[in-house]
Formats: sequence, structure tokens, C-alpha cells
Amino acid sequence: MSKVVEISPTTRHEGHTKLVLKVNDEGIIERGDWLSITPVRGIEKLAVGKTMHQAPKISSRVCGICPVAHTLAGIEAMEGSIGCEIPDDAYLLRIILQCANKLHSIALHNILSLPDMYLPGTDIHINPFSKEEPVRSVALRIQRLREIGQTIGEIAGGEPIHPSNPRIGGMYKNISPRAKSKIYDLAKEGSELARAHMDFMISVFKDWDNRSTASVASSYEVEKNDKFGFHDQGYMAVDPLYASTNLDADPKWFPERWTEVRPWDWYMGQQDITLDDPNYPNKATTPAGAKAWPQMEACTAVPLYDGAPVEVGPRARLAIFRNYDRKGAMGLQIARQMEYPDCLYAMMDAVDALNTSGPVVADEIPQGDGSLGWAANEAPRGTDVHLAKVKDGRVQWYSLLVPTTWNFPTVSRALEGAPWQLAEVIVRAYDPCVSCATHMMVVDEEKKVVAQKLVQ
Amino acid sequence: MVLGNYKTAVCARAADADILKCSQDGGVVTELFTYALENGVIDGAIVAGPGDAPFKPEPIVATTKAELLAARGTRYTISPNMSLIKEATRSYGLDKVGIVGTPCQMQALRKAQLYPIGMRKVPDKIALAIGIFCMENFPYQGLEAIVEDHCNTKMESAVKMDIGKGKFTVYTERGAVTQIPLGATHKYEQPGCHVCLDYVANMADVSTGSVGTPDGWSTVFVRTKKGEDVWSKAVAAGYFETKDIASVKPGLDLVTKLATGKIDRNKKTLEERAKMGVGKGLRNPYI
Repeated sequence: MSKVVEISPTTRHEGHTKLVLKVNDEGIIERGDWLSITPVRGIEKLAVGKTMHQAPKISSRVCGICPVAHTLAGIEAMEGSIGCEIPDDAYLLRIILQCANKLHSIALHNILSLPDMYLPGTDIHINPFSKEEPVRSVALRIQRLREIGQTIGEIAGGEPIHPSNPRIGGMYKNISPRAKSKIYDLAKEGSELARAHMDFMISVFKDWDNRSTASVASSYEVEKNDKFGFHDQGYMAVDPLYASTNLDADPKWFPERWTEVRPWDWYMGQQDITLDDPNYPNKATTPAGAKAWPQMEACTAVPLYDGAPVEVGPRARLAIFRNYDRKGAMGLQIARQMEYPDCLYAMMDAVDALNTSGPVVADEIPQGDGSLGWAANEAPRGTDVHLAKVKDGRVQWYSLLVPTTWNFPTVSRALEGAPWQLAEVIVRAYDPCVSCATHMMVVDEEKKVVAQKLVQ
Repeated sequence: MVLGNYKTAVCARAADADILKCSQDGGVVTELFTYALENGVIDGAIVAGPGDAPFKPEPIVATTKAELLAARGTRYTISPNMSLIKEATRSYGLDKVGIVGTPCQMQALRKAQLYPIGMRKVPDKIALAIGIFCMENFPYQGLEAIVEDHCNTKMESAVKMDIGKGKFTVYTERGAVTQIPLGATHKYEQPGCHVCLDYVANMADVSTGSVGTPDGWSTVFVRTKKGEDVWSKAVAAGYFETKDIASVKPGLDLVTKLATGKIDRNKKTLEERAKMGVGKGLRNPYI
């Protein structure tokens, strides 16, 4: 006889989500639904009728953690629609900005995942805010890495959060030679730190994987299953580092392979909650007797690629482009750490190649004829696809398929087989960023909008 | 208090003959920034560089002495130096920024430091703020009208303009000098200047101007700890010749007189504006 447990809210990630889990008598998840309960932002509707310059700036406001990915994907989708090629130096500045944001985001996520982990070889959970060594120096290293990422983003993008420098047609300003060497020095400093930090984090995650029991932060220990967080879904990634757009000679993402399903058709129907646990951290389980209705409460559509959910993110990038093959929640965490050096070396290469006297705005910026443009940006959390149609400089249609939207249904599958007390560890491995994943554009088989009311 | 808080007031001029050659008076701003640049106090300074028309300044970030020299001399029109304050810390990559500006620009600077809205990581990077005395300012078209119509001199042939002793003077490269009474220029002033209650850049680290000291010298007010530190080191390093302000004519009395005059006059404008329209006057920023 299966029971239903609800963990709401889940913690230590961006946004608001909850888990509705069907578990068996041993507490093993038989079916897991992970859903966003963050209200709809409505960015896609706000953008309609705005100028193409304005829309990506609005869309970047959807979130403060990866605004760079949204700005760049938005701008490149507009450029894809109007058919605008940007100068090389602008492209290099965008790469620097992208890497800077990724660096800061990975480091930030370390802080969020560490409390679930143990000091290798002990049963002591890591409290990143503790003053004791070795944790204090790890925390300081994380903060320095973030600072480096933010400062570089500030120089290349004008602002580290919601960058002001990117624009349709390139960038507003090139940087000075002095700023160029500052970026290089910072990246060099970061690369030393990142290598040491990556080693530490990987050893922590491997140590967790090798344990027979585990707990979420301050909770009690439970037996882990062998294939913790495994799923059989495919991967989707368009570039090892940066992006692909419809203007590429060899585009890596295909709009015709993407479909969307209503949450109504995907998630579980109304459930009576029959299991709770007052000992769960933060008393986050909903008391038994209440009701949960995932298909009604979920605030995301479910995007499918080739008709199935896919995983996006660091592991997808490494699996597709570098033959990475470690599965499970820790496989994903380790893949994320492996992106640290990539960010910094790519940044150094880009800044080396940058000509600070070169033009950064395209000579001609077409106004668009309403054709479809898309850009798939490899944000820290995965592929952030923006699609747009621009006509006479105005946005006619705009859609965001953001990383965590892709991951929602995949995570739900990865939950199966794990003890429900550790479900949050799996969720957190995906570094969910939920606010931007809230997305409502529901169509039926004939691509007709059937849930317009929810959108407005 | 019309002269604001200051630690010391001196009469000074740059020791560098190159700077004095084309400077407005004592070359204090150029020389102090030069000292600060050469000694690592600042990485670069936002100054009024040459623009696309004669005597039309454009803010630039100067990171070399040559760039500072190109920005010597007063141009009696607007140079929105504050517009670069954020960019200096961004695409220019500066960590220690110097800035020169009129009293109103110093107010804007301090306000940005106090309430850094949209100025993330800017306040702590302001390393040296030099203020210049300012009675009022002209829009560029106004300056053009004064020089070309009143002084009958083409902007292109003017090499220096000066306001002093109640006259507006234009010097040309051929040596011709035209003077008109300052009264004739009043109608070209910016209306916004008429509500300003600051003559000697009270909010700067160091403020300077020609009034109060003989030709070729400048009056310098050292106002803050930071300003005093830089100033005393620069003087000790021989960058400036100084004289006791009490020993020179006309001295601080004239500065006080002009400052009082500006403040009293502008207070009247403020009072008039307070009674204007729906009774919502311009707020005095010092209250």
C-alpha cells in the first residue's frame, strides 16, 4: 500500500517548489512529482509589442542568479530573428560574461549543497558558515571565486547582475586595455583557486556516494539505494560552453523537436497526504490528512524534446561533448565542479584574443521581418532556449524555455527508487532555479493555446 | 560657513612649467591628479577632455599625464563628468577613481556614495574628488553666443577664456583680447545654476579656484582627511609652490564675499520658486 508524502517547501535552491511523493512501505519513492509553485512571471506576454532592445532586458529580470544567460539568450534570439551578425570582439566579450556568471553560479551552488555533505571520512555534516577549519577556508575560497566571477562580469557586462552592456548587434562598449589585463589577472587567480576547490568538492561528493547511509542536513540517517538519482532520460546540450543560434552554420538545437505538455496531463491528480514526519528538517512535510493536487498546482509547462523529458546542465554538456558517463545525483554534482576550470580557461583565452580597439556593434542592425529566431544558451543550469519573432523592430512573439523547466520532469523520474527522506538531495543536485522556470504557454496537439487564461 | 568645512586654505600653483603653460590659473587640478596618478593614489581620473568642437568639453577617463594635460584649462560650459563615474569602474577597469567637478557634481558624487542606487561597487572606488569654484555655468550655445556675438571672436580662434574682476575675457591665438562686462553674460546662464547654494565645492576632498589669489595662482581648500593626506604628500614631494593665504591679496575675504553673494542671490531665487506655481518649491538640499 503506497503512501503519499509532501515536502513543501523544498529549501536551499532558488524559487519555490514542492515534492509530492508516492512511497512504498519501506519509504522508497515509487512515483515522484517535483513541481514549481512560483507564480507565473508573465515575461513572455510583457515582451510582446516592446522593442527588440527592451525585451531581453526585461527577460533578464526574471532571476538574479543567471540573468546573464537570459540577457544573452534573449538578445541572440532577437538577433537570430532579424539576422544580425555581431563583430568578433563583441562575441568574445559575451563569452567572458557568460563564463564569469557561470563561475559565480557554480560557487554559489556549492554553498547550497554542502550542508547535505559530510567532511570526508567523518559523519559530520559540513556547515559552510562554521568558523572551523577546513570549512572556513573552503567558504572563503567560494566567496573569492564568486567575487572574481562578479567582478569580471561587472567589467565585461557593465553589471554582474542584469548586465547593461550587451545589446542587439553586439555590445555597447569595448573594454579598456587596463580592464583587459585586470580580467586576465583575476581569471588567473581564479584558476588556481578553482582547481583546488574542484578537487575538494569532488572528493566530498565521491565520499557521499560511497556512504551506505545519508541524511538531509540535520535530519536522521537513512539507507541509500545503489542507483541514487539515476534516470534513463536523454541529454540535451548545444555547446560545451556557450551557445548555439539559428544563425550558426551548424545549429545544434531544433525547434521542431520541441513540444510542450500541459501540467494537467503530466502530473498526478489530487492526492490525500497519508504520511508526514515531524523530524524532517524545517518541519517541511505537510501534515497527513491534507490534500495535494500536483496537476493543478504546477506552474510550469512540461517541455519535451523528441517527445520525452531530457536532462540539461553540466552533465549533459560533458556527456554530449566529452563522453562523461557518471550517472546519479553525485555524477551531476561532480560534472558541475568539472566546469570550474573550463570557465576560467575559456575566459583567459577569450580575453587574450580580445582586441580592445575593435568595433563591438554591428554596422547594420536589420529591423526584422517576423521570422523565427532562437538562441540556446548553455546557462549554468543547462540549456536556456529563447525563441522570438521580431518585425519592424518590435517583438511579436517571445518564448523562454529555461533550464529548470527542462529538468523538472527529468528530476521527477530520477527520484524513483530513492528513499523519500533524501529526495531533496536529488533535487538540489540539479541546482534548480525555479523562478525563471515558471512558464505557462500551454498548447494542445494542434498547437492551439488551450490555457490562455492561465497565461494572462 | 559659506566656504564649507576645511582643514587648511592655501595659495598654490603647480611647480611643473608644462602644466602652467596652458592651465587656467595655478594648474592645481592637473598637477594634483598627476601626483595622484604617479603615486598610485588613483588609477585614472575623470576630467573634461577635448570634445568635438572648440571649448566644448567631453568627459574622459585620463590614465596618463598626457591625457591630463590635454584637459587643462577651464571651459565655461557643461562637462557631465558624473556620467562616467560608473563606467570608469566597469569597462575602464579602474579601482581608484579620481574625479573633478563643479560643486553640483560633487554633491551628486557624494549622494551616489551615500545612496548607491544603481551604483553597485562604485562608492568605495572614489579615491579623490577635486571640486572647482563655480558661480554659474553656460550651455554651449550660450557660450558660443557670448564669444562669437558679444566678443566678436570665432570659437576656433579663441585660445583662452577667463572670468575675473567683473569681466569676461577672450584671448585669441593672434594676441587679440576682447573683454565684455560680466553683466552681459548673465542672460546666458543656466537657470538651474540660480538655485545652487555652493560656491566653493563644499563636498570635495580638495577644492580650488582662482578667486582670492593673484593671477597665475589658485586658492586651495583642503577639506577631508583623504584630501589632506594627498595634498600634504604632493606639497612635500615638491609638486606645488605654496604661499600663506593670509599673505596674498585679495585673500579669503574676496572668496567669502563672492560666496556670500552667490548664496544670498540664489536664496532669493529659491524663495521666489517656493512661492511659484502650486507652492511646491525646490527643496534646499542642505536642509
